[in-house]
Amino acid sequence: MLNWLSDHRASIAAVIILLLVIGFVYSIYVGRKQTKLRSKDEVFGDPERTRGGWYWSLCGISALMLVWFYFSWGIGRAYFPDAANEMCQIAKLEEAVSPIKAALPIGSRYYKSTTLVARNANQLAVIEAQLPTAAFTSDEQAQLTKIIGSTRRLLAVSSDPANQSQASRDQLTSLSSDIEALSAKLRQGPGDRTPSAEALAQPRWGTTHIEIPLLPETAKGILFDEVAVSAKEVAKTFNKIRNNPPANEAIIAETRAEIDAIKAANKSGSFDEDTAATRNAYVKSVERIFKRLDDGHIFPAASLDGVNAAIADLDDAKGEAKGGLGIVDALFFPGDGVVKSRTQCTEQSSGRWLPKPTDVVATFFRLANPDIESGGGFKGTTLLWWKWLPIGDVFAFFTPDWIADILPGEYARHSADGTVTPNFKDGVLAFAQGDINLGSVPMLDGHIWDSLFRVLVALGLGILLGVPLGIYMGVSRFFKSFFDPLIELYRPVPPLAWAPLILTIFGIQDDGKIFLLFMVAFAIMVISARTGASGTQLTKIRASHSLGASDGQILRNVILPNALPEILTGIRIAVGVCWGTLVAAEMLAGTTGVGFIENVARTVSDYELIWVTILIMGLLGLAFDLMMRWVIGKLIPWRGKG
Amino acid sequence: MKNFFKAAIAATTALTAASAASAADSVNAAFFLEWATPNQIAKVDKAYDAAMGVDVNWTDFTTGVAMTEAMLSGDIDISYSQGLAPFVTAIQQGAPLKMVGIAVVYEANDCFVANGAGIDSSNASELEGKTVAVPLNTMADFSFRKQMAALDVDTSTMTIVDQAPADGAVSLADGSVAMACIFGGASAKAAGEVGSPIMSSQEKRDAGIGSFDVVSVTEKFATENPDLVRSFMEVTAESNAAWTASDEQIAKVAADAGMDVETTKNQMAGFIFPTPEEQMSDYFGDNGIAAAAAASLGVVFSDDSDGTAIATTIDGSFLK
Repeated sequence: MLNWLSDHRASIAAVIILLLVIGFVYSIYVGRKQTKLRSKDEVFGDPERTRGGWYWSLCGISALMLVWFYFSWGIGRAYFPDAANEMCQIAKLEEAVSPIKAALPIGSRYYKSTTLVARNANQLAVIEAQLPTAAFTSDEQAQLTKIIGSTRRLLAVSSDPANQSQASRDQLTSLSSDIEALSAKLRQGPGDRTPSAEALAQPRWGTTHIEIPLLPETAKGILFDEVAVSAKEVAKTFNKIRNNPPANEAIIAETRAEIDAIKAANKSGSFDEDTAATRNAYVKSVERIFKRLDDGHIFPAASLDGVNAAIADLDDAKGEAKGGLGIVDALFFPGDGVVKSRTQCTEQSSGRWLPKPTDVVATFFRLANPDIESGGGFKGTTLLWWKWLPIGDVFAFFTPDWIADILPGEYARHSADGTVTPNFKDGVLAFAQGDINLGSVPMLDGHIWDSLFRVLVALGLGILLGVPLGIYMGVSRFFKSFFDPLIELYRPVPPLAWAPLILTIFGIQDDGKIFLLFMVAFAIMVISARTGASGTQLTKIRASHSLGASDGQILRNVILPNALPEILTGIRIAVGVCWGTLVAAEMLAGTTGVGFIENVARTVSDYELIWVTILIMGLLGLAFDLMMRWVIGKLIPWRGKG
Repeated sequence: MKNFFKAAIAATTALTAASAASAADSVNAAFFLEWATPNQIAKVDKAYDAAMGVDVNWTDFTTGVAMTEAMLSGDIDISYSQGLAPFVTAIQQGAPLKMVGIAVVYEANDCFVANGAGIDSSNASELEGKTVAVPLNTMADFSFRKQMAALDVDTSTMTIVDQAPADGAVSLADGSVAMACIFGGASAKAAGEVGSPIMSSQEKRDAGIGSFDVVSVTEKFATENPDLVRSFMEVTAESNAAWTASDEQIAKVAADAGMDVETTKNQMAGFIFPTPEEQMSDYFGDNGIAAAAAASLGVVFSDDSDGTAIATTIDGSFLK
């Protein structure tokens, strides 16, 4: 069932997208109608006006989902499931002709020959100006200037169409006709080519770790693939074509002899170290440019016009063969299209870092599978499941090991017959370490639970300690003056700044992470409880005092209810900040937790996993906030009605 | 309407063509600071620029993953000394990169056992059931798994804690972990104060556990400018061959790497720079080290990794 869903995720997405569009349009229709209906009865600024409005929630959610689907290429995949594979084949053709294009204005503004001529002429001029006159005799200087002059003549001879070798002319002509043949093939259209069984057996787009499979799956794709294969051969031929004008041969032979002569002089001559180094370096740089020019890389500009036109025509033919795919590409695949690597084709731009909603759900279900043996969970731990928790472990958590140490007597030793008889002291140690069978209770387990546990314990401690302290700081001079500097000093410090200390003080267990989160929650709770307590109207306190209320009664029945709205808002803020700090806390020494998953996913740029963790944290935060709103509605129904 | 679409398509194609236009007037290369290599002499002397006939712009990076990102965005053409781990990760994510050479071969990262624990390579199985700190999905993780396999220790019984090297060293000192696997000079030094490597350099060599950095290029750059890649590798090989570790050379490299001479000397003492011939015979041949290491590293990162697919991105042809 799950596999079937996973394989057909594109079709499922198509239905979901349709529903989202309907929901979006419908919600706006209902929303406008409702607004018109009520606009007469409502007063601006009345909090009652914000009640209800499910249709605007639907509108917001469907708009967000549609944007997500669009930029993750989800809409493209849902309605054009073959498009990416075809674009992959086109990318293959692009790649195949790229060596030819790189040498032509169509791909890189200038002919490669133009670039080479300009660059080498410049470098020759620089080298000529830098001739170290001190290191060479005047004869040698003349010789070197001559070599540079000859090298320059190579440039001129190669660039002149009149000198071009017949062989290279013929080769370029036949190359142009080869390219034209490719264009003709593209123009003939795909016909009734059928994909191979191997291609059809490939996993669908995005269902495995291979994003877009390489082999062509449609007739159009096969056509492009075939053309790409031939184009690769053409490009190979192109790379081998050389322009060796007969007029250059004499110059090359002569110059080479001259360079060899100077090199021989360098070797045999007895120069001091500096001079020898200068001479060698200079001759080497002259030879380097000469070597770059003696193997026929430079063509007359006009000779390549035919190839340039043929490639331009191939681009046109490609556009025609693409047909509707061009529009689909432009409209539904925002970004830089598909890029081909050796192993697969991949989506670029937002398609790369924003996984499709359906893929995120699929990854979530893969992680949520409690059966670790069959690939569920993450790094050997389930996402959220349950396990048997030995009750012994619970007691062990609260019993320190040293209790056994301070008992009188010695721990048992193994006796002469190779057996060990535990005594009472061993029993206590076993109890303190949880090695004792007291039965088991079912307990939640997994990454989500571990994170939730840390946040909830930290938050609970924060509320338990922070609220009373905050309220006393609101009513007592001693508490306010004593604690104010301490709290205000540590509160502004970002939690990450504590992280390195936490590791040394608490080690790698949960207590360190909980303490880090507790510090965050505590400060927020103190501040909010204090603000709430000190904001109580004096008349209310005076009134209850004059009615004979004791200090405790005033605190419980007047100040606490008055501070509740602030405290509950504080809890909502604290939860949010705790989740934010969790990723940092679980980075310290990660074994489990949602933040741990994200930290590991980051090292391998696994964007699907990263988005799953972001969504888990977002949804947990949302669930908690909804719960808090319900609590607020129950506890302080009077809020906003005074 | 039809005309409008035609115009729209034409405009899109023109835009794509324009963005694809790339005259190789300059080549952008990536390197690491504080990672001393002989080719930095060629870099400082502009020997690359001279041999390739183009300007070579060097940009320093702090992580191999950042190199991948820069290569994907087209800002970098050649990454010199990218780690094997980020390279394999990039390939698994479908990045169009290829490995064209081995930059540096060095000793595998060490796993340190606390001094008081009385555990060494002879009784390493005592680590079973203990807690160990490993920076997951790094070369240190790879080295950890290789060493444990060589020592016949079952890692599934261990509690593996994901810790950055600096944190791992602290946890080792505190005694909250039995072993910490570390990369990076400063953290390794800190861990070395309180612990000792579970396998000696010689033991690691005998077990065939080593690390290497690669030279990676984008597919696009390699297909369009094979001659430039070839001269880049040539100059690198020349400067490796010219390396004599003389004081003058080390001073030059140290200045470029941003380290003092002593640290540079120590770092380079552990480095081997294989010649093109050695690379061809040992790393890029059939069943070469490059493909084997990349495939087994791939499995560390992802259980469904396909080693043969990664091997297709390894290309030694530019060394010839």
